[in-house]
Amino acid sequence: METFDVVVIGAGPGGYPAAIRAAQLGASVAIIEKDAFGGTCLNFGCIPTKALIAAADLFARIQHAEALGIIVKDAYVDYAAMSAHKNRVVAKLQGAVKTLLTANNVRQFTGTASFKDRNTIAINDDLTIGAKKVIVATGSTSVMPEYLPKSPNIVESRAFLDFDHLPKSMIVLGGGYIGCEMACMAALLGVKVTVVELLDDILQLVDADARREVRTNMEKNLGIHILTGAALEDITAERGGVQGRVGNETIFAELLLSAVGRKPVTEGLHLEAAGLAANRNGFIDTDDYCRTKVATIFAIGDVTGKVQLAHYATAQAIAAAENAVNAKPRKHETLVPNVIFTAPEIGTVGLGEDEAARRGRAIKTGKFRFAGLGKALAAGETIGFVKWVGDAETGQLLGATAVGPHATELIASATTAIRSEQTAQELTRTVLAHPTFSESWMEAALALLGEGIHALPRKKQAD
Amino acid sequence: MAVPIVMPKFGQMTEESTIVEWFKKEGDPVVKGDLLFAVETDKSVMEVESFEEGTLIKIAVKPGTSVPVQSIVGFLGTPGEPIPEVPKPAAAPKPAAAAPAIAPAAKQKVAAAPSPSALAVATIATPPAQFRISPRAQALARESVIDPTRIKGSGPEGRVVEKDVKAYLAAKGYGRLRVSPSAKRLAAKEQLDLLSIPTKDGRIGVVDVERAAAEKPVPMTKIRQIIAERLSHSVVTAPHYYVTVEADMTELVAYRAALKKAGTIFSLTDFIAFAVVLTLKEFPQFNSATDGQTTRWKSRVHLGLAVSVDQGLMVPVVWNADELTMTEFSTLSKALIEKARAGKLSPDEMNGSTFTISNMGMLDVENFTGIINPGEAAILAVSSVIDKPVARDGAVVIRSIMKMTLSSDHRLIDGASAARFMNAIKTRLEDLETWKPLT
Repeated sequence: METFDVVVIGAGPGGYPAAIRAAQLGASVAIIEKDAFGGTCLNFGCIPTKALIAAADLFARIQHAEALGIIVKDAYVDYAAMSAHKNRVVAKLQGAVKTLLTANNVRQFTGTASFKDRNTIAINDDLTIGAKKVIVATGSTSVMPEYLPKSPNIVESRAFLDFDHLPKSMIVLGGGYIGCEMACMAALLGVKVTVVELLDDILQLVDADARREVRTNMEKNLGIHILTGAALEDITAERGGVQGRVGNETIFAELLLSAVGRKPVTEGLHLEAAGLAANRNGFIDTDDYCRTKVATIFAIGDVTGKVQLAHYATAQAIAAAENAVNAKPRKHETLVPNVIFTAPEIGTVGLGEDEAARRGRAIKTGKFRFAGLGKALAAGETIGFVKWVGDAETGQLLGATAVGPHATELIASATTAIRSEQTAQELTRTVLAHPTFSESWMEAALALLGEGIHALPRKKQAD
Repeated sequence: MAVPIVMPKFGQMTEESTIVEWFKKEGDPVVKGDLLFAVETDKSVMEVESFEEGTLIKIAVKPGTSVPVQSIVGFLGTPGEPIPEVPKPAAAPKPAAAAPAIAPAAKQKVAAAPSPSALAVATIATPPAQFRISPRAQALARESVIDPTRIKGSGPEGRVVEKDVKAYLAAKGYGRLRVSPSAKRLAAKEQLDLLSIPTKDGRIGVVDVERAAAEKPVPMTKIRQIIAERLSHSVVTAPHYYVTVEADMTELVAYRAALKKAGTIFSLTDFIAFAVVLTLKEFPQFNSATDGQTTRWKSRVHLGLAVSVDQGLMVPVVWNADELTMTEFSTLSKALIEKARAGKLSPDEMNGSTFTISNMGMLDVENFTGIINPGEAAILAVSSVIDKPVARDGAVVIRSIMKMTLSSDHRLIDGASAARFMNAIKTRLEDLETWKPLT
């Protein structure tokens, strides 16, 4: 039996960076993937959706180009070609992942891994390898609720991305970020979309003001019908479509996309053979060093149930690989930006305003709307704002939200500022280039301190 | 016309009290019976009600300030009326020379600035009156978030000038510190000296400052300071020694359960305490006190019962326990313990004990020892009743066993007496004939 210093199970955005980092540190490494190298992110998530969303966004901008003096006649969508573009991107990146693994001497196995004991792993029951350390990075998969009828017109996101055509109308079940991204993308490409969310509002992860901004645009400008605070009931799938009832309203569409959440993948792993067990919710518990309760086994990414984001898995991966190989343990990072590719985009990082209120933490906020920004007016993109959340007394920047054009890029500089423990005072003294979207961070910091230059002074509030 | 609010006198011995908290703000309306403020005396925390109506127009004594009883602490009146001048409270009179065996009344002993060597983290102290510093030096120290009182001044009369601060910062390697902007502002807010915050590589982040802030010394509550002082005094002055016996509680536990079934409820503590009272009558030297020169016998048994409460330890006292029937004793002690838990004991209800029992039976302990209450000869520590295998008539049987340990002051009591005293208690607890007539 061949034995490796480190065996990584799962080759997604957690697994493959872990394997490469461990190899860089001199370990002999194997990686086992049962489906597609690159994982959900590269094959069925982040990357393919962004390929489609980028195209949808361009189409929308072409349609609105007239306002800037550009006339494009007869622009139309060839979704099959769009989907082919997406497939090319995925294939290219998948190849790149394998190339990187090979170049770092990481042995790649395709098959389902299962523990024989804590140091022995079987692959598809026909091969057994030894592992001094194991990093579990098996990720998550879409949940298909039991109450949905079985029908080719009812799909989850992975199957939806495989389509080479779009339906005329669709119901998106679930107003989380996956549901909303898909809804916006489809609506931008001309699909009549209805979003059904059981909770009181869509996108509960972000602050209320950001939600309001996005929801308004989705409803007013994209024509998306959004139903919140009620369940989708009496669902029937017939030839040609899916019908359901939300409260008193009956809705019908050609397709139903289920985006109600994701569940961890531990099936077939035989965790118990290694002395591990999934917790009540199916996740593998880990500490800040990515250690499980078994000394030689680490876990990272969605399967740990902390923050289910690719870049978070990657950050954990680097820490886990270093902790598996080196003697000196290191905590993984916890400041994780969250980007949502709705229309408009959202980027958030750190402490939100709503969360601060829940915790009773004294904060100040400073907001700057793009409507007051020269560059935004020039570019004809005036929806949205950036917002800082800072400590009420020290001005420490604790969190940020960006909504609007480039919000997912804008959040990067906010992340750097928060990670390096900058204060609003420091940020107001940082010179940011004009005219850019980025300079709105400085204006928002001034607003936090009540010193905004390009904003009307706040009226003194009467007590 | 403004009506003065005065600091009431709690109990015979209280000379000064500290306002812990005002429940009203200046300008708040007050009606009769409203709680005005909370007071910490040298024995407990009390709430003070208003006997007048009006508006609280002035708070003259801020929380945390200790003033003699009967001092004016504020005024009630009508809004807008002139506030009379508050006479400076006279210095608290020296505690009266009370019964010699009682420990000296606790004085405020919170150090204004803790000595730097004793603490890992230094706070930026309020400078002592004689500390001299130039405005520029002060500004640089403030900007650098360091404590200037640690700097040796080169100016006249040791005045610290700017170049002293610069030299000090250079000597301490201040320039090598990498302090995040947020960490610096937080340290300034928390009044922490950046040079005293532990760092491995010169980096100081918010987490480091938060940790240092959490480690700042916090003054103990007055009640805890009193406990600390009294306990230290006892350990230092009374040479303690310990005698432990085991009592077989099997029959008494069964007897108590039978009584309970019949509708008469006594706690196990009632039996133990009453056994102690009976035994103290037999061994009067355990109900006495010494100052090292004289001994003083107490003709009455006032039994202290140590009770653990949220803010620390309370010892309600059952006065004249030797005169009470078992039922009277049980009723009285139960009421006192409830009052202690509610923080409602009056000073006279926690004063004057002649012997103390500390019962940790409900806390699942094998054995422990107590520290003698100053002014007493001994303390009895009662542990849990535990089922154990023991030898009886050459066979191993399971019995309910309870350990009791007596801490005695060797100046008053010798070992053999303690052994006899403890065995007398044990015998009473094990002999149901003691209890049948009493219950």
